[in-house]
Amino acid sequence: MMREKPIEIFCGTGGVGKTTLSASRAIQLAASGKKVLLITIDPAKRLKEILNMTDEAAGEITTIQSDIFRHQPGNVPYQFDALLMSPEHTLKRMAERNQSFQDFDNRIMKTLVRPYGGMNEIMAIIEVQYQMEQKKYDCIVLDTPPGKHFIDFLLSTQKIKRFFDKTFVEIFKYLGKSVGTQSEAPGMLSILVRTGIKKLLSYLEKVTGAQFVNDFIDAIVGLYRNRDSFLKAMAFQEELQKEEVSNWFLVTSVEQMKQSEARELREEAVRFMHNDNYLLINKSISQYLGDWFPQDEYLKKLRHTMLDKENRLKTMQDQSFRSSILFPEVLETSPAEHVGKLATEWSIHFPI
Amino acid sequence: MSARLIVFTGKGGVGKTTLSLAQTLSLKESGKNVLYNNFDQFPNYGLCDRLRIPHLDLELEESAVEYMAQKLGSHMIAGWIMKTPFFSSLLHMLPGLGHIIIMGHLINRLEKDPTLTIVMDSPSSGHAMTMFESTHNFKKIFGSGMLFNDLNRMQDFLFSGDKVSVNVVTLPTEMAIHEASELKSAFLGFGLQDVKIVMNESLPSIPEMTPERVALLPEFLSKKYQIESQIIESFKSEITNTFPHLVNESMAESITELAKYFGGSK
Repeated sequence: MMREKPIEIFCGTGGVGKTTLSASRAIQLAASGKKVLLITIDPAKRLKEILNMTDEAAGEITTIQSDIFRHQPGNVPYQFDALLMSPEHTLKRMAERNQSFQDFDNRIMKTLVRPYGGMNEIMAIIEVQYQMEQKKYDCIVLDTPPGKHFIDFLLSTQKIKRFFDKTFVEIFKYLGKSVGTQSEAPGMLSILVRTGIKKLLSYLEKVTGAQFVNDFIDAIVGLYRNRDSFLKAMAFQEELQKEEVSNWFLVTSVEQMKQSEARELREEAVRFMHNDNYLLINKSISQYLGDWFPQDEYLKKLRHTMLDKENRLKTMQDQSFRSSILFPEVLETSPAEHVGKLATEWSIHFPI
Repeated sequence: MSARLIVFTGKGGVGKTTLSLAQTLSLKESGKNVLYNNFDQFPNYGLCDRLRIPHLDLELEESAVEYMAQKLGSHMIAGWIMKTPFFSSLLHMLPGLGHIIIMGHLINRLEKDPTLTIVMDSPSSGHAMTMFESTHNFKKIFGSGMLFNDLNRMQDFLFSGDKVSVNVVTLPTEMAIHEASELKSAFLGFGLQDVKIVMNESLPSIPEMTPERVALLPEFLSKKYQIESQIIESFKSEITNTFPHLVNESMAESITELAKYFGGSK
């Protein structure tokens, strides 16, 4: 029996089916009457295709009606909300709340929050934290970026903390910018730091041009003025470590020979994880090949290699997962039908 | 093949690593001066060494120090800059900056040695977009200066002529092919000239899969075979190359077998 929690997190290496499994879980929860928000942080945005959304929907919460999924658990219509992460939208909302548009009116910030600008993981933490705070949903289902980018996502709060390190305060003081911090007595140490910064900036300017250094400092000052919003997201990290807050699913796929990557990912993630972890083995084919015993040598080999991959994944389950669940491969061509079918699998394994 | 930088990208799990290693092996066996690079991801150098595949390993922070050292004429100053919390936070906050530093490093190597070819096992779709888009983004950010000029040089290499060949690897499902086409158009939009879609793990492309054997497949595999055949037929104008589903025990065997497809002997 799996307990229901306010957050459910799906992680795994690329292409294993994190998005389809998290979407199907959202369907199951919604069909049983829960208020659900499904968020995808993966910049590949496969969710868009599954839920018939457009690129324009990125950043806005979209309500998905059950009629697009033909296989559905129960026959009562339901709906759930879905969100394709957009770093730009997250930053814009932050600026609205803090009334700090001018802080982000900077060409560096504008470039960085573009869809592939590189701030995805950090802005994602802020977005999820914001949605949690709204308390509008019974469950937030989170589809995370693949492989080590998931670890990047988990490390975001540390990066935020490091970014707003005291050293930056020193930079601002040196530059005479007002950032609203209490002034500290300029001891020997800070004088040393200051001379270092002066040198550092002159080197940086030599390589990047003066314009960049100016813009960069403005961007940092802008971020710094809004630092409370960033730092608040750090609370989310602590939430994640609480067993009563989240369920974790490590998704693997029979289609791939990636057990070692999945293991590495698990070992890295375990630093942030608690014991409510489940191993999901996707695209399982054993149930289709179980009673097939070909005589032909080549077909024997084909059967053996296909089943062998699945058996190797099953050996992972003794690694302290609460349990492991097989999801059969689905050949349905329409993405919506596909997730609808997987939702039925969820209700078989974890009835609500 | 005239491309100097051969890139394999696509969604996770489509076989980018297997195909890029097979491509490297095939070029090496034909006597080319070639290196495999896995662009700052989980490395599998044991496999490279077992197959005698030469590889170029770049670590982000070292690459960044080397780059700064070149610009400032001092390795010591560059090392010091990189160690400051200021700069190291900057690199960690902005993965795109790291991408262009490594990409710049690869292009430098190619420009220094005109006989060299590099096969890049690139990050998967979304992050490959960040990698190519970053050259445009950081040009906007810098506006002028040494880095701006270097970015122009990088873009010359990447986006003009036939020096770069990008392979978007896809599995034989309709949804996967749609995603691959979307990725291909995005790459063309960034300015890349030569972008191909290649299909991997296809059942109908297995040479051993004779009609007699197809008739012996169980219902599930037979349906999968039919679906894949239809997909190959309807997307044949978009797919440049197709690689079969392999039944080898190890990745090393698969790489050796796939190398024959690149070499033209299959």
